[in-house]
Order: sequence, then structure tokens, then C-alpha cells
Amino acid sequence: MIEIKNVSKKYGDKVAISDITFNVNDGEIFAFIGHNGAGKTTLIKSIVGIHEFDEGDIIINGKSIKEDPIACKREMAFVPDNPETYENMKAIDFINFICDMYEVGEEERKKSIKKYAEIFEIDKNLNDPINSFSHGMKQKIVLISALAHNPKILIMDEPFVGLDPKAVFDVKKIMNEMTKEGKIIFFSTHILDVAEKLCSKVAIIKNGKLVKTGSMKEIKGDKSLEKVFLELEG
Amino acid sequence: MKSLLSLIKVSLNHDMNIFKINTKKQSKFSKIGLPIIITIYIMIIFGVYSNELIKQLTPVHMEYFALTMFVMIVSFLTLIEGIYKSGSLLFNCKDDDLLLSLPIKKRTILFIRIFKFYVFELLYNSLFLLPAIIVYAYYIHPSWTYYLSSVVAIFLLPIIPIILSCIIGFLITAFSSRFKGKSIVQTIVTTIFLVAILFFSYNLDNIIKNIAKQATSINDLITKLYYPAGSYIKLVTDFKVTEFLLFILIHILLFTIVIFILGKTYFKINSNNKRVLIKKKTSHNSHYEIKKHSPTRAIIKKEISRYVNSSVYIVNAGFGLVLFLLGCIIISLKFDSLATSMLANSKDLTIENVKDVLPTLMFGFVCFTSFMTSITSSTISLEGKTFNILKSLPIKPYQIMKAKILSALVIMIPCILVGDIIIFIRFQFDIISILLILLASIILPIISETFGILINLKYPKLDALNDTEVVKQSMSSMIATFMGMGISLLNIILLFMLLGKNMSNHLIIIIFMSFYTVLCIGITFFLYKTCDKSFNNIIT
Repeated sequence: MIEIKNVSKKYGDKVAISDITFNVNDGEIFAFIGHNGAGKTTLIKSIVGIHEFDEGDIIINGKSIKEDPIACKREMAFVPDNPETYENMKAIDFINFICDMYEVGEEERKKSIKKYAEIFEIDKNLNDPINSFSHGMKQKIVLISALAHNPKILIMDEPFVGLDPKAVFDVKKIMNEMTKEGKIIFFSTHILDVAEKLCSKVAIIKNGKLVKTGSMKEIKGDKSLEKVFLELEG
Repeated sequence: MKSLLSLIKVSLNHDMNIFKINTKKQSKFSKIGLPIIITIYIMIIFGVYSNELIKQLTPVHMEYFALTMFVMIVSFLTLIEGIYKSGSLLFNCKDDDLLLSLPIKKRTILFIRIFKFYVFELLYNSLFLLPAIIVYAYYIHPSWTYYLSSVVAIFLLPIIPIILSCIIGFLITAFSSRFKGKSIVQTIVTTIFLVAILFFSYNLDNIIKNIAKQATSINDLITKLYYPAGSYIKLVTDFKVTEFLLFILIHILLFTIVIFILGKTYFKINSNNKRVLIKKKTSHNSHYEIKKHSPTRAIIKKEISRYVNSSVYIVNAGFGLVLFLLGCIIISLKFDSLATSMLANSKDLTIENVKDVLPTLMFGFVCFTSFMTSITSSTISLEGKTFNILKSLPIKPYQIMKAKILSALVIMIPCILVGDIIIFIRFQFDIISILLILLASIILPIISETFGILINLKYPKLDALNDTEVVKQSMSSMIATFMGMGISLLNIILLFMLLGKNMSNHLIIIIFMSFYTVLCIGITFFLYKTCDKSFNNIIT
């Protein structure tokens, strides 16, 4: 479970996020939406321990990210909006590197790397240097490295950007499978159709403040998520 | 013209801001205070050198020779630095795609890149030349033409070394871009070039003697050796408007011609560089190796892979180690002739005297190499945006820093130990000296690299466009270099002071090593205590 409790963060004098509170339960796919610069990435980076925040706390499966960041990070995997990789490495070396950091056993990683590399149709490119890859291929490598250590919580910032339609379909399928195992998927997106069809819960952020949160049904009612979002933005 | 000015403004604003660091809060001290302190520190040191030199030259009325010396040294250093910087500054920059998509001439892009290089060298050269120019004026009270010539010379003198280094950088990159292991080839060719230049300078005596025979005066000699230096000295001692205008014209013309010629092949070489990468891609091999490593070992592997893939990083950090090894080999092979020539003017010292203090001298050499080699002072900055990967991993910052230090030591310590062993075998050191020097060869690199990482944690630069900006033009690397110079100099002075007091080699090294062992424990403990906070303060 992810508990976000009154989290605020400023960049200098500018308020990035203010007093954000909501929970994400096990087995949920949670969409986090908002306009550009609303504070989505700031909150996501605070959850995964990249950014420190000024007030509040974030609890990951009962542990505070402030008090015990290492234990919290062990439970999570993070896929950033821009696929950040070590460009001079081979794809397989990068995935192995991430698995080493999570101390994944050799057999376990063999199985999961093979599984996800085949799903994303990139198994024949794993020996190639990452700096020769396209944006989408890099995104696939980051996704494989995030999934290979079998995280309980998967946090993603705009995960579908740059992926081909088949890969988008595969990611959605993987997300659904993970939630059936009781895992949490928390992601930000601008593709509201996907959020509407895929997610059980949603939070909408505007100018750093949470304007709506709840189950997808509660939030959209009879309208489409797009309409609700645009009304709130207006 | 408007677009050119706009590009220059943006480039200089972004890339020349060496004092910008990626931490949550940049204090006024690091923003304003530290740059001023570094500038004053360098200028005072070179002011003192100039003063001493001009004082010695005053009785023979050759004060201008101090200016010549400074111009020659600064130009030589610019050339050496430029050779290994130019490849990374000019090729495969992160803003290639952005600039190439803009409606500007390709030659303009090349101009901007060389111009940035020029501005940096101009600032760097000014730090060394200005004190000499001021001290000279203090002694001579020259006319206004001296000030005019000097101001113009400061702006023009970096041009020729930059042009030469760009041409050599072009040739090296063009040659290495044909190979799959581009970085390694580039590093090897660059190192060969640099060693060849140093070897050539070392053997310059005979060449100078030949030129001297044909020269009618010292000015004539300098002009024949290196035109810009000779021409500037001519203007200082005997100003002529025609020569002044010629001096300006030659530099500007050369700069324009070189931009024009290099501009014809620049983008071909740049795209060749990238084509090698794309060729590599087509392996289509579904057999890949999966191996489990400990987190520390995995980070060390990653760091070494980063190191060997950046030729400017290898040359900058590894050149000192190569020189150490070469130094040890040369001392072993030619000790007698070297010692004889060094002791030519000394009546009291013999070769045997030098042999007696060789363990202390070797210890000094190890100190110098260790403190002048700082791999870790760039290691965090080189992460760039990937620093977020490290931040999101379930690994303690101290463990990451420890692995980064270990990876630097894996590169450094074996090189130093090989040099040590060569000297031990050749000069048959006693066992205590051997043990003490071996201990120094481990402890001193640990101090140097821990110190490097502490500086980089405090002054990270994560938004550089290329590795050169981090390795050569960042606050962290500059502090590490100047502090290394300062510590090395202090070590040498103290060692010679103690040698002068007829202390034994063992005692001298034990005194130093006691201090350094305590320092090593202290600095490691300090890193352990402070690195979490510094690590979390870094923002991308």
C-alpha cells in the first residue's frame, strides 16, 4: 500500500506540490493525471526517493520513505518519463546491473529477462549497445529492467510515450496481470482513454494541488474522464 | 548575424558557467566567493613567479624574457590540453540534433564550438598571463603601446594553439571513427601524440641550438621558434603600427581559414562517428550472458565501462599514470646519465648521495602522481541525467560512493605498483622502504580519490553537453587539480626540508605516512558521515 500524507514540496519560492494526501491499495491500477507542470513528476519522484520533500510523509507498505528509503525502494520499480540508461552499456548489461542492485538471483533474472524480452520483441537486441537504440527501444529496456526484479509496486511516469502500439498493448496486459497478483501500479499519463479503461482509481492534480481523487466510477460518473478533466482544468 | 549572436549568447551562457552546480541550494560563497578565491589564488601564485623571474632578469635588462616564458608555457599547455579536449568538445555533442535542425549554416555550428573552446582558453590563459603583464609593467613603466599590445595579445594568443589542437583533434577523430573501438583508438592515438610532443620538447635543445646559430637576436630566435610569442615581444620592446596590424591580421586570417577548411569535413567526420555506433547495432544475437554480481562489483563494472568509453576521461585521469610508469622506466634505464646531468652544477652532491635518498624521492613521486590524478572528481558529474537511476536504487549512497572510489583505485593502484616494482628491482630498496612505499601507493590514492568524490558531491555538474565540460571545465575538476597541485608542492617542499636535516629515508616516510594514514581514516569517516546528505542534495 502507498500512503501519501500531506506531502508538500517547493522549488525555491515556487510551490511544486501542496498538501497532497491519498492512498493506493494493493491490487489497484492508479492513474495520476494533470496538465504539464502540474506537479505529477515531482510527486512521483518523491515517492520513489529521487526527490526529498519539505512536509508530510510517504509510506510504502508500512515503511516511511524518509526514515527507511532503502527498504521502500526494494519494494518498488520506477520507469521515468524519459528512458534514462547508461548509454555506453549493452542492453543486457544494463538490465543485469539493475538486477544486481536488487540482488535478484541468477535463475530468477534469467527467467524474467527472457520472458519480458520476448514479449517486447527485443531479445535479439540485448547484446547491442544502448546508444544505438531508438527512444522506444530504450523505453523497453527500462521496462524490462523494472519488471525483472518482480517489484511489488510499479511506479511509471508517462510509460507509453515512444512505445509502438504492440508494446503499449503488452504493457497494459502486464499491468493487469500484476494487479491480479495483488501488486500496485501507479502511473501518470496524458492518454485519458487508456487511464479510463485501465485504472480502478484516479487522482487529478492542478497547480500542485490535488483537485479530485477516488475510484474511476466516482470521479467520472456518466461522463468521460476527458470531459471531467477538461471541466476541472477550465 | 542576429542568429549567430543569439547562438553565441546561449552557448556561452549554458556551457561557460563552470561555477553552476546541481545542488538544491547554491550558496553565495560557491557562486561568487569561491570563483574569486580560485582566481586570486592562481593570479597571486603566478604573480609571485613573474616577480621572481623579472627580478632575476632586471640586472641584464631582459625583463621581457619573463613575458616570453609565460607566453610559451601557456601556449604549450593550451596545445597539450586542446589535443585531448578538442575531440570531445567538437564531436558527438548532445546538442547536435537540435543545432543541425535549425536553419543555420553548418559552418556556423563549427564556429560556435571552436569559439566556446577559444573563450574558455582565453579565460584560462588570462589567469596566467595577466599577472606577468602587470608585474612587467610595475618594473618597466612602459608606454601606452605596451598595454595596447598586451590586451590585444591576450585575446589573440590562444588562437594558434587552439587551431593546431583542433586540426590534430580532427585528424585523430577522423582516424579513430573508422574503428569499432573508437574510444580506445582515440585514446591510444591521443596519448601517443601527447607523449611524442613531450619527448620532442625534452629533446628541444639541439633544435634550439641550430635555430640560435641562424638567429641574430633573442627576439629573432623566439620569433623563429614560435611566431606569436616573438611578435608580441617585438611589439612590447619596439612597437610598430604595421607589425601590430600584421599581428592581428595573421591571427584572424588563420582562424577564418581553419574554420573554412575544417567546416568542409566536420559534419562528415561527425556523422561517421555515429555510423560506427549504428553498425555495431546490427548484431541480432539472441545469446546473451546473464551473471549475478554484488551491487558494489556491479557499480565498479559500470564505472570502469564509463571510464574506458570516454577518451577525454581516460587521457585526463590516466596521462599522469602513464607518465609515472614512463618516468619509472626511464629512471631505471638511464639513472646514471640523468643524475649526472642534474648534478652538473652541484659541487657537493654525488650520484651516490642521490641513490641514498632515492626511497624518499620515490615516495615523493608516488605522492605527486596520486594527488595529481583525480578520477573521482568527475565521476558524479559524468552521471548526468542518469544520476536519477542511482537515486532510485535500493543502495545506500555511501555504498555507491565506495564503489566509485574502488573503481578509480582499480585503475590507479596497479599502475603505481608496477612503477614501484620496476624501481624496487632496479635499485634494490631495503624491505622497510619497500613496505612503506607500497603502503603509500595504496593509502595516497585512497585519500586522493576520496577527496575527489567529496568535491564532486559538493560541486556536481549534471547538465554538461560533453565529457570535456565535466572533466576539464567544471568547478569540481578545477578544485581537485589546483588542490592536488598545492598538496604536491607542499609535499615536495617538506620532503626536501626534511632531507636537508639529514633524516633517514625511513623516518621521513614514516612521518609522512603517519599523517596520511590518520588523514585517510578521517576523510573516509567524513565521507561516511556526510555523503547521504550531499547525495540527496544533488538535483538533476
